Amino acid sequence: MTFLRRTPRGSGRSRRRVLAGPATLVAIAVAAFAVLSLTGGRSASGATAPVSNDPAVINAGLQLYEVHCQSCHGANGVGGTNGSPELIDAGAAAADWYITTGRMPLNNPADEAIRRHPFFDAQQTEELVAYVNALPAINAKPNMTGPGIPLVAPACVQGTTDQPAGCTTLTMGEQLFSLNCAQCHHEAGSGGMLSKANVIPSLRNATARQVAEAIRIGPKPMPIFGAGELSDEQVSAIANYVQYLHNPEDRGGLGIGHFGPVPEGFVGIILGFGLILLISRLMGNRG
Amino acid sequence: MSTTEHHGQRADDMVDQARDPALDPEHFFIEPGEPWPDDVPRDQDVHWWRFRDDPKGARKAELKIIALWGVVPLCAIALMILYVVGGQPQLEGLFLGTAMICLATGLVIWARDLLPGHEVTAKRNHQGGSGRLERTGAVVSLSRGIEGMARRPFLVRMLGGVIGIFGLAMAFPIASLGARPHRSLYKTGWATGKRLVDEDGRPLRPDDLPVNGILTVFPEGDSHANEAESDKDPQSATVLINLGDAKFDVRPGTQDWNVRSSTGLIVAFSKICTHAGCPVGLYNTQSHQLVCPCHQSTFDVLGGCNPVFGPASRSLPQLPLGVNADGYLVSTSDYKEPVGPGFWNRS
Amino acid sequence: MSATKQRLAAEKRMKVERMALDQVDDRINSSSFVQKALDHIFPDHWAFMVGEIAMYCFVVLLVTGTYLALYYTPSSADVVYHPTPGHGYMPLAGQHMSEAYFSTLNLSFDVRAGLVVRQIHHWAAVVFMAAIAFHLCRVFFTGAFRKPRETNYVIGLTLLLVVMLEGFSGYSLPDDLLSGTGLRVVFSIVESIPFIGTWLAFDLWGSGFPGSSLIPRLFVVHEFLFPLLIIGLLSAHLALIWRQGHTDFPAPGKTETNIRGSRVWPQYALKSGALLLFVFGVLALLGGLIQINPIWIYGAYNPYAVSAGSQPDWYVGWLDGAVRLWPHWEFRSFGHEIANPFFPGVLIPGLLFTVMYAWPAIDKRIYRDDAYHNLLDRPRDKPFRTAVGVAAITFFTICTLASATDLLGNDTHIAFERLIEILQIGVFVAPVLAGAIAYKACVALQRTGNHVIMQPVGGILIRTADGAYHTLGDEHHGHGEIHDHVDGNGGGNGRGDGNGGGNGHDDAELEEPVVGGKPQAPGDPNLG
Repeated sequence: MTFLRRTPRGSGRSRRRVLAGPATLVAIAVAAFAVLSLTGGRSASGATAPVSNDPAVINAGLQLYEVHCQSCHGANGVGGTNGSPELIDAGAAAADWYITTGRMPLNNPADEAIRRHPFFDAQQTEELVAYVNALPAINAKPNMTGPGIPLVAPACVQGTTDQPAGCTTLTMGEQLFSLNCAQCHHEAGSGGMLSKANVIPSLRNATARQVAEAIRIGPKPMPIFGAGELSDEQVSAIANYVQYLHNPEDRGGLGIGHFGPVPEGFVGIILGFGLILLISRLMGNRG
Repeated sequence: MSTTEHHGQRADDMVDQARDPALDPEHFFIEPGEPWPDDVPRDQDVHWWRFRDDPKGARKAELKIIALWGVVPLCAIALMILYVVGGQPQLEGLFLGTAMICLATGLVIWARDLLPGHEVTAKRNHQGGSGRLERTGAVVSLSRGIEGMARRPFLVRMLGGVIGIFGLAMAFPIASLGARPHRSLYKTGWATGKRLVDEDGRPLRPDDLPVNGILTVFPEGDSHANEAESDKDPQSATVLINLGDAKFDVRPGTQDWNVRSSTGLIVAFSKICTHAGCPVGLYNTQSHQLVCPCHQSTFDVLGGCNPVFGPASRSLPQLPLGVNADGYLVSTSDYKEPVGPGFWNRS
Repeated sequence: MSATKQRLAAEKRMKVERMALDQVDDRINSSSFVQKALDHIFPDHWAFMVGEIAMYCFVVLLVTGTYLALYYTPSSADVVYHPTPGHGYMPLAGQHMSEAYFSTLNLSFDVRAGLVVRQIHHWAAVVFMAAIAFHLCRVFFTGAFRKPRETNYVIGLTLLLVVMLEGFSGYSLPDDLLSGTGLRVVFSIVESIPFIGTWLAFDLWGSGFPGSSLIPRLFVVHEFLFPLLIIGLLSAHLALIWRQGHTDFPAPGKTETNIRGSRVWPQYALKSGALLLFVFGVLALLGGLIQINPIWIYGAYNPYAVSAGSQPDWYVGWLDGAVRLWPHWEFRSFGHEIANPFFPGVLIPGLLFTVMYAWPAIDKRIYRDDAYHNLLDRPRDKPFRTAVGVAAITFFTICTLASATDLLGNDTHIAFERLIEILQIGVFVAPVLAGAIAYKACVALQRTGNHVIMQPVGGILIRTADGAYHTLGDEHHGHGEIHDHVDGNGGGNGRGDGNGGGNGHDDAELEEPVVGGKPQAPGDPNLG
């Protein structure tokens, strides 16, 4: 799976000035619907991270969108002819998740969107997210606002009484993770396999924000978990527990991938039994 | 056992044989009085050891052993200190292993280089069993009793019968090992009007579940159909799925088993795999398939959770759903068929 | 001068030795036995050490298991875990769990040296089964199960079964999410047995799944019943090896009637003790440095939760794989059904073990060989048997691979559907293929002239199917046949050494009468 690397920065910047005219129109549209979008159908979950409403930022996002996304997702995110989904109701969370995990942009829409090194840098991501966030306004469909980027509450610190406000405990995260996530992602977050060749990714690289976003947006084939199932606090707890799983307490020594009995069997047979067999061979004859 | 006459006779033999210098007393596998076998060499130097004629080599080997064994007390002290300060698994394993391996290596060098040991050849014992006379003797002894018993065939038969009946009585306590396979195989905690609650016991409304959402639910105030101590009857575990606008294949007679929320169709299926009973937890929202993580049985939710791949051969039973007057999701009855894997009396 | 001193010291020591042995001998008449024991001969070959490795793993298991049993509580009672930072595992703080899981957590976090001992115990179980499997292969491929050692083969096979069950019961004791899932599958397999399945399952579990009786019962089984059984069977296994003598590979000068090797005392004993320490040492290193079964990450068992990648330990993997590979077949009629897990979970292993148990008898039929063997076959000399063994190993390997389809899929990005389909075909094709290749390889090896190294008297030694040795092209020495005492075709030339002089005396009883002094040959029915 080769991914064609393009350099978005230079071309995006230079085009920004050229396309200043149409961009102002977009900015006006955004401003007009900004209020609507805020009061209207925000996602059911409560606290979300602020997404820039600055027309300049949205414009910058538009430039990037036109170069890297529009060929599939269509102008203004109305969806493409090749089956690519419309993005109007995608929301900031989805945009942020797909971009920061490197799943988008996708060279070939038929490819599997798997985790890669992110294609856009932090600023470009912010601009694109702002643009996608503004899509309901741009398309004059304020009711289609997708979920915003969830805010993750801090994890409680062990062994102190001075805890950050609204912190979540690992034990809450463990319980929720075990019930809702472990069946696919493995109890240690190692990943697994779903039907139809869908690889379930390991969570070792997922940031807390990405975990929370994924829970809320349900990137297919993963199911979605709405506010009616998991509260914001619970989502934060899971996200923080996943951070813990990046480096879980391996009191027993090398974790050998945290994949359970299969690697353990290999190590036991090849390293353990093999070593003993080698030693008994080296010991030589008994006489 | 041999008789005393044999014993005496044998002792005399041994006195004679001991004077024969050809019979090296080191070769114990060759019985005195037997001819020396062709395939056993006579000149086996059983006192040979590796550095017998090489004092320098022997000294070197000794030094090696001293160095290796010197490590052992160091490890032992380290282990003691570790224990006192609270322990650390990696260091414990390291010191334990090192101590044992050093001790063992020293032993091997000692045995190999400084102790007598030479490949020897001897006659095997127990070749093809005993001689005819011994065999006959055994048969005679055995039949002494058997013949006596055979004279009373009734007693033999009766003994068999008596032991059989007594054994039967002894087998009765097996029944106390477990309850009779009872209704928990056929019934779950679901019943008409039972509210669906999540893990925390919170009742659910249809709109709590977004499209492509999945949730494990339980009957409210679980009835403990099993006498299990766990707070929820595992047989009742059910997955609730919002299918959105996907086309769900409603089977005849189940038209009113689903609930439509503002966003889509809500269906409920048993979470217990019909193959080997694992919780069918993996939901693929792209293909609308439930997958069992144990043996990869795959169920097509849109087709009524019928098995489409893997070893499962039966659909996951569907739970009839309804909404009560307060707007909460309820079951309108128990499952219509036993949940979980098959068994002899299932159908 | 010093030589005299040394001799005097040696004499003094011998006096002490004599005094000690006399004390015992006065009471139990033991000297002849002691001497025979110290001089007992074991043939030298590294492959013969594998059974010993397995035995020492068992010793390690007994030692570590005793320590673990002191801290483990076999109970399903519900308790709440309250760790404090630095003592215990914080991510499970305040959670409900069974006492069994609770005590295993404490054992792993709070009991000093608890975790390292637990991990040594688990690694020892993994290596134990590996050693047993390897030992079984060695016995099979070299024909060590042939007469007179059929009984010991059967005992060994039973040991394999018991150890497998012992391992699985131990894997299940911590009551974590992984082991609980395994038990759920086993419950379903037991339940699927026709007629008695549900009764048996409810009798074993005391109720429906999961119930509260199983953990205490498993503990009794794991802690008492199976270890006792293993000790008993192992004792019988060793006693028979002692009494019958160990087999050996054929080599110049080795015959069916002699034995060549090292005496038990002192080298062998010291090296054997060293091997025990090596086994313990390697397992201690593994137990300290490489994590096995981190139950704290898996969490307590919860019957409606499950983790991806739920696999049993490797030695049960082939069963799990068979269950995955078996197609979606069930039989339902007359109001009864034979559920799917019965076939791969009970029927297939049942048939396989029946064949394995019957193999000595089958082998006798195939090779028309009921003769008495102390010399082993080389695998190449019995191509068909080798092919069967290789096919069986391939079958077990494919099944074991199948138990990891989800992990393989995750690694290779191949759909598990494809992997299972490939393995479903592979489980039939690969063993046949591997067997055929093994057969061809054996025949080719036979022809490579490797036998030249086995020339005892300048000719080429070949071995016939019935175990007789012939030398070919041995013009120089003028005799074309050596050691034909086990010629199963009745062609024994009456040299009379065929059955070892017949007098077969017990090691322990020197007083046995020497009858007739003429060797007899009663042990070989085929000679008649």
